[in-house]
Amino acid sequence: MVLRNFKIALRAAAAATLTLIYSISAFAVDLNMPVGVTPISHDVYGLHMYAFWVCVGIGIVVFGLMLISIIWHRKAAGHQAAQFHESTLLEVIWTIIPFIILIALAIPAAKVLIRMTNTSDPDMSVMIEGYQWKWQYDYLQDGFSYFSMLAADSNAASQLDSKISPDSVPNYLRDVDHPMVVPTGKKIRLLITANDVIHSWYVPDFAEKVDAIPGFVNEGWIEIDKPGTYRGACTELCGRGHGFMPIVVVAESWSDYQKWVTAMKAGNGAFIDPTTLQPEQTGSPVVFAPALLNFNAPSPAQLEPIAAVLPAAAPITKPEVAATAAKPATKQAAVTEKTWTMTTAMARGKQMFDTNCAACHMADGNGNPTMGVPAIAGGPIPNGPLAAHISLVLHGKGIMPAWGNVLNDADLAAVITYERNAFGNHKGDVVQPAQIKAARRAVKRN
Amino acid sequence: MHNTAVAHEHYAEHPSGIWRWITTTNHKDIGTLYLCFSLLMFFVGGTFAMLIRAELFNPGMQLMDPLFFNEMTTLHGLVMIFGAIMPAFVGLANWMIPMMVGAPDMALPRMNNWSFWILPFAFILLLSTMFMPGGGPAGGWTMYPPLMLQTGLAFPFTIFAIHLMGISSVMGGINIIATILNLRAPGMSLMKMPLFVWSWLITAYLLIAVMPVLAGAVTMMLMDKYFGTSFFNAAGGGDPVLFQHVFWFFGHPEVYIMILPAFGIISEIIPTFSRKPLFGYTSMVYAIASIAFLSFIVWAHHMFTVGMPLAADLFFMFSTMLIAVPTGVKVFNWVATMWRGALSFETPMLFAIAFVFLFTIGGFSGVMLALVPADWQYHQTYFVVAHFHYVLVTGAAFAIMGAVYYWLPKWTGHMYNEKLAKWHFWLTAISANVLYFPMHFLGLAGMPRRIPDYPVQFTDLNQIVSIGGFAFGLAQLLFVYVIFQCVRGGKKAEAKVWEGAHGLEWTLPSPPPYHSFTEPPAANLIWAHPYQND
Repeated sequence: MVLRNFKIALRAAAAATLTLIYSISAFAVDLNMPVGVTPISHDVYGLHMYAFWVCVGIGIVVFGLMLISIIWHRKAAGHQAAQFHESTLLEVIWTIIPFIILIALAIPAAKVLIRMTNTSDPDMSVMIEGYQWKWQYDYLQDGFSYFSMLAADSNAASQLDSKISPDSVPNYLRDVDHPMVVPTGKKIRLLITANDVIHSWYVPDFAEKVDAIPGFVNEGWIEIDKPGTYRGACTELCGRGHGFMPIVVVAESWSDYQKWVTAMKAGNGAFIDPTTLQPEQTGSPVVFAPALLNFNAPSPAQLEPIAAVLPAAAPITKPEVAATAAKPATKQAAVTEKTWTMTTAMARGKQMFDTNCAACHMADGNGNPTMGVPAIAGGPIPNGPLAAHISLVLHGKGIMPAWGNVLNDADLAAVITYERNAFGNHKGDVVQPAQIKAARRAVKRN
Repeated sequence: MHNTAVAHEHYAEHPSGIWRWITTTNHKDIGTLYLCFSLLMFFVGGTFAMLIRAELFNPGMQLMDPLFFNEMTTLHGLVMIFGAIMPAFVGLANWMIPMMVGAPDMALPRMNNWSFWILPFAFILLLSTMFMPGGGPAGGWTMYPPLMLQTGLAFPFTIFAIHLMGISSVMGGINIIATILNLRAPGMSLMKMPLFVWSWLITAYLLIAVMPVLAGAVTMMLMDKYFGTSFFNAAGGGDPVLFQHVFWFFGHPEVYIMILPAFGIISEIIPTFSRKPLFGYTSMVYAIASIAFLSFIVWAHHMFTVGMPLAADLFFMFSTMLIAVPTGVKVFNWVATMWRGALSFETPMLFAIAFVFLFTIGGFSGVMLALVPADWQYHQTYFVVAHFHYVLVTGAAFAIMGAVYYWLPKWTGHMYNEKLAKWHFWLTAISANVLYFPMHFLGLAGMPRRIPDYPVQFTDLNQIVSIGGFAFGLAQLLFVYVIFQCVRGGKKAEAKVWEGAHGLEWTLPSPPPYHSFTEPPAANLIWAHPYQND
């Protein structure tokens, strides 16, 4: 009886296992760790497979002995129990053998670890800063930086009840507006930190996962074998948008990378899509929205000056760009001296709000009571004194981030104007960049 | 003579109805309360898990706001650890330790009552936060600042709930130590104690050592939030990573608090159904002690990616790998106990065998996770989720289920329905693997944990995982039914329920008298214990 039950159970288990293996093998996703594209990722993959096969070996021995016991030493099969219960020799043997196996695992692991923590002599450095919920890439030697956030189509489809199928979005949750761009064949030191809470920068193909911790700068390094687009994600729980801050790294040859850097310097805050700078492509480079300004759809007014500084056709030659790159200071000043009208401020402000504020305050401005986020519509701050409103947006409070570090004066003015005059609010004031600048100065003096 | 009889009757007297349970100081009543509470919490935490798996069935957000999803993962963890697994083991300790060491009751019965009755209040406090403005805690069960400091009104309630759970655990631990060290029957030296008692003696010391550390960590966070300190605030000269160090100094021994009693249970069940004494009793005791010691020096393996110096990474990698040695010794001893025994496969034995298989799989992924370079790939992905569910569900929870089937006839005086129990086992064991095994692949393919939505290439595997999850959840309803049926009635159980069972608890009738051993058991009963029968 027991034997029959046992056989039935075994057969059922075998059938279930086979079905599982069969169905898993039909998947699109790779079932193993990626081999990756850096020397470290190759080492890590090797270590992973080595440890895996060691475990399989031990498993075969241990599970094999257990199965033999289960099959042969059954009472139902008439087996009489032996009464032995001690053997010092055996205990010593099965203490020492695992110890030796562990040493055989520990030595190669330590070697890889020493190599992967050696960040000395880099060819270049990029600073990566985590925000709720986006990344900032700061090219320290070249003096420009930009934000990288979830692509707009993924963002739209990921909303609750969006009615947009994630299957219809290419690279759903794996695309960003502005990817990180790096050269191949160079040792790149990554300096990783965070602005608000702890994040973690993870790209499986680089075997690189470093926590981004506010107040601390962690180091890592990558050296990429071949050009391509590599994707990753934030891997430390960082709040509501944790699942929605992917990482995209575009690796290019050194010469292409340099072209991109030159164009970026010339672009003065605008993000340039590196793929449009390839020599085989014709036509003018695609210029994204000014990345420092960080919004999705570029306004024609902003694109105009950028298009003017870039030659109509690639490739760009160095002297030309050097000439244009010399004027960033004047451009920045122009942003502050800009004057908004109600119409222009509201249009720009809506873009800024939808991109930066709607994640918490919601697109309809009604806030998110479950998160403890107050409503903009009819809220006391947008309908209260302007100075308090500006101060709150600039410096943040509680879970409200300090936007003074993220947005420029013109955009802050626009978004504050929008908040005071949309969603049924009618304060009627148009905030100017100069007021923001003054508010910043006032704090500095204090 | 007359006076003794009266005194004895008075001694066995207790109120009936609800007051029996509220005022009880009896180890069996309190054990029952603990076990029922843990079963309830198992279903509360399980409901959260079902919601998580329902949301993850398809890419895109279908059911809940991402923040609510984070609440679910946080509360699932807290409820399952502090509400389901730990109280279940304490309940088993309450029921079994006095009977196993030949004592009438626990050493500190009134404190025993307290340590249980704190728990329902702690969990009412914790679960009530879900209905507060701002919602429940959503920073993960690990509660890392600064994220945890963004919690709204739920924050102080969560922390006070954790304080209460800690107080309850420490009192439980003190009681267990006092009972084991003071109330053993004459003739039962430490090295003649059943392994379940040994495992709990060591676990109780771990509890007393680390629960105050957790209380300290969360109190420092409370100070940061409301009293202007900067323990974990870099801008004020503090260090967010300090919290992680303190938390895991609690958290790693905590992991062993949830597995050492399971080792004890398995070491009781396997000899019984192998009809053969436990192999290597002495080395089993030393292995538990070594694991407990090592648990204090491996904490930073939970945080290899925070940017520790190379020397620290190496130290924690080596010390973590070392745990595989005593754990391996335990597995080898269990296999050697089964070897050339006369095995039968009643439900407790099935759970014990499944434990050895599946816990070992969790151990393998544990060794892989210990290798720092590989950990950089596995860390915070579903590979880790697979690992700790293999050790905590197919490990700790399977041991608890095995223990319930093993001792249920002793507790109730009735045999449970073996056929339904076997159905429960097979449904549970198969669905658990459908649920947890594919998580390894998801992790290796790069799916981070604690995400409410995922890229579409992970869909197929997530659907399999979710189906396994729903099946696992449903199978537990059968568990409740079998227990309910057994409590209500069934075939009368003998004193020695299992043919191959040894130990003092089997010398008492089933169900045992209200006060287990009012007189010390005869010395020959202890000497007959299989560990020392030569």
